Amino acid sequence: MAANFWTSSHCEGSKQLLDQEDVDKVPQADSDRGITPEEFRLVKIHMSFLLQIKANHLMISDIWRLAQQVKVRQRVIATAVTYFRRVYTRKSMTEYDPRLVAPTCLYLASKVEESTVQARLLVFYIKKMCASDEKYRFEIKDILEMEMKLLEALDYYLVVYHPYRPLLQCFDFRLLQDAGITDLTQFAWGIVNDTYKMDLILIHPPYMIALACIYIASVLKDKDITLWFEELRVDMNIVKNISMEILDFYDTYKIDPQRGLPEDKIAPVMNKLPSKA
Amino acid sequence: MGDGRVGGGTNRPAWLQQYELVGKIGEGTYGLVFLARLKQSHPHAAAGVGRRGSPIAIKKFKQSKEGDGVSPTAIREIMLLREINHENVVKLVNVHINHADMSLYLAFDYAEHDLYEIIRHHREKLNLPINPYTVKSLLWQLLNGLNYLHSNWIIHRDLKPSNILVMGEGEEHGIIKIADFGLARIYQAPLKPLSDNGVVVTIWYRAPELLLGAKHYTSAVDMWAVGCIFAELLTLKPLFQGVEAKATPNPFQLDQLDKIFKVLGHPTVEKWPTLANLPCWQNDQQHIQGHKYENTGLHNIVHLPQKSPAFDLLSKMLEYDPRKRITAAQALEHDALLPSQAGEKIVQYPVRPVDTTTDFEGTTSLQPTQAPSGNAAPGNQSVVPRPIPRQMQQPMVGMSRMGGTNMAAFGAAPQGGIAGMNPGNIPMQRGAGAQSHPHQLRRKADQGMGMQNPGYPTQQKRRF
Repeated sequence: MAANFWTSSHCEGSKQLLDQEDVDKVPQADSDRGITPEEFRLVKIHMSFLLQIKANHLMISDIWRLAQQVKVRQRVIATAVTYFRRVYTRKSMTEYDPRLVAPTCLYLASKVEESTVQARLLVFYIKKMCASDEKYRFEIKDILEMEMKLLEALDYYLVVYHPYRPLLQCFDFRLLQDAGITDLTQFAWGIVNDTYKMDLILIHPPYMIALACIYIASVLKDKDITLWFEELRVDMNIVKNISMEILDFYDTYKIDPQRGLPEDKIAPVMNKLPSKA
Repeated sequence: MGDGRVGGGTNRPAWLQQYELVGKIGEGTYGLVFLARLKQSHPHAAAGVGRRGSPIAIKKFKQSKEGDGVSPTAIREIMLLREINHENVVKLVNVHINHADMSLYLAFDYAEHDLYEIIRHHREKLNLPINPYTVKSLLWQLLNGLNYLHSNWIIHRDLKPSNILVMGEGEEHGIIKIADFGLARIYQAPLKPLSDNGVVVTIWYRAPELLLGAKHYTSAVDMWAVGCIFAELLTLKPLFQGVEAKATPNPFQLDQLDKIFKVLGHPTVEKWPTLANLPCWQNDQQHIQGHKYENTGLHNIVHLPQKSPAFDLLSKMLEYDPRKRITAAQALEHDALLPSQAGEKIVQYPVRPVDTTTDFEGTTSLQPTQAPSGNAAPGNQSVVPRPIPRQMQQPMVGMSRMGGTNMAAFGAAPQGGIAGMNPGNIPMQRGAGAQSHPHQLRRKADQGMGMQNPGYPTQQKRRF
């Protein structure tokens, strides 16, 4: 159901939670163009990064007044990134140009989260921010056409859950007495943001991702919360495995938080994709 | 779901071919509604979703105003209905897209009747009230569906008789389906105040807190609407027929409030403490606070004894203070909805008029496929009523579902998320009523039982 993860389409019903192999599989049309699994992953990282960074800019500057709390933007963006990643478990990048899919996911997510961003503004900002790159030149019409194709590609399942709420709930309920708490929350929150550069949201329930982020935060900040985890009675092996994946990701890609993937790494892949007709 | 590919050679999408269009049955600001039938050998027949020939209502959304893409209304409906699964909520069976003209189609199980038409039929044709047993059954089902929505943090926000559908002949005969989720939304963790969505709820069914400009509101707005619908089922007339002040961004609706106050008396800060904080209560003092209202008495209008359980339930639904207003869960437990003796009267409701001259594009170019019949609705020759009059055996309307069936539905309904955070902060005892119900019927036994059978032998075995 719409307000309960366990019975939602995200968890049940439509098999939205996938195995790693399904998520990593490169669509035929893309592998025909010589795109490797690693390159497929790079594009997703790159576009997730763009969505997070650019959408933050876009929204701070124009759509939401600054007074609106950070949570607002984060949920819309997280939903957008999830849509983006779900689309490529079913469609190829050859057919669905990620440069158009990403902003359209943001457009659709903003409607679903009742914080609509106008297509007109979105197009304006993409043009402004990617002025140098011909391949990012999209018109309103392109966004609107893609919106419909996305609805179809997502099989009309639009409700998505994120680790943010369970994260806050964990801190609210259990760690409140801990003095260094705000420190840990913010740190874990940042890690949650980074998990959207991976496919974790397609594979694991959001609360497990939240726990993995808390676990990493506690280890890195040298806070012993072993007891707290024991009380939770969750499968710590899964939590630790997710944590390892996240740490591996940091290790492998060493993404510059301001600039994202280096140009020489992403450009060759993007060039393999057909440019807009 | 739908396949948006364009069918061979024509401009028509392939999915269209699985439907046989019967005609247009409705029109609204969102677009058009069609009645169609599923043709043979389509994917859903295989999936067991629909059977060959089963009637389907297809809601076509107009392309919203230039440059806005899929309308927020359509997005809300798709998003929520894709997650919802309840006996008393309309079932979305498919979504289709026509990429050629960028239109969106939602396909639902077709419901022959709705409360608007049923009430109208009693008022204008029969000149008879709806029997109390049926009212009770309809109300119970409406609350049952609403309780499911509310316990899942969904507010409907546009409840009115025309949005409450009633299934016609078939397996689900007499079952209520709450429809039209174009204004509905999840309110668990809103990113913006709900009032940002502009005015909600058709004015006659709009709760006083909305009319007074509340920024934050709860599922209690739906319960007010249920109260209004309950009264309308009893009297066949809308309870508060205010005249809408249009073209004003201000939610304040003086005439509607006037109609309410005349019946229920003037609200007071003593009885409704948060009243003082409502924008319009403060700003429009001279209009509302200055006026003295006599309490004409709700009981005089609905003709219920003041001591009766039904009156008690109604007045709890029409409680001014949204925090004190009865919740759907509580209402389901109310004495007024305890099982009782079934009525025996059978009422035949008319089928929905179908305009067979309108095609999926909404153009009225088709020739009528059938000759206009003698009982066609006046003024519209092309309205062809289906030939066999159906009998909706009123006593059966859904009451039979109060037993085991609904208990199962209750058990399956995911409950509200975090404990103690239910709307209105009143403890809900979900399912308790259904469980304590003395007549627990097995689903198979009660499904459609006696619905098309005027003799209803099975029914007599039951002791209501």
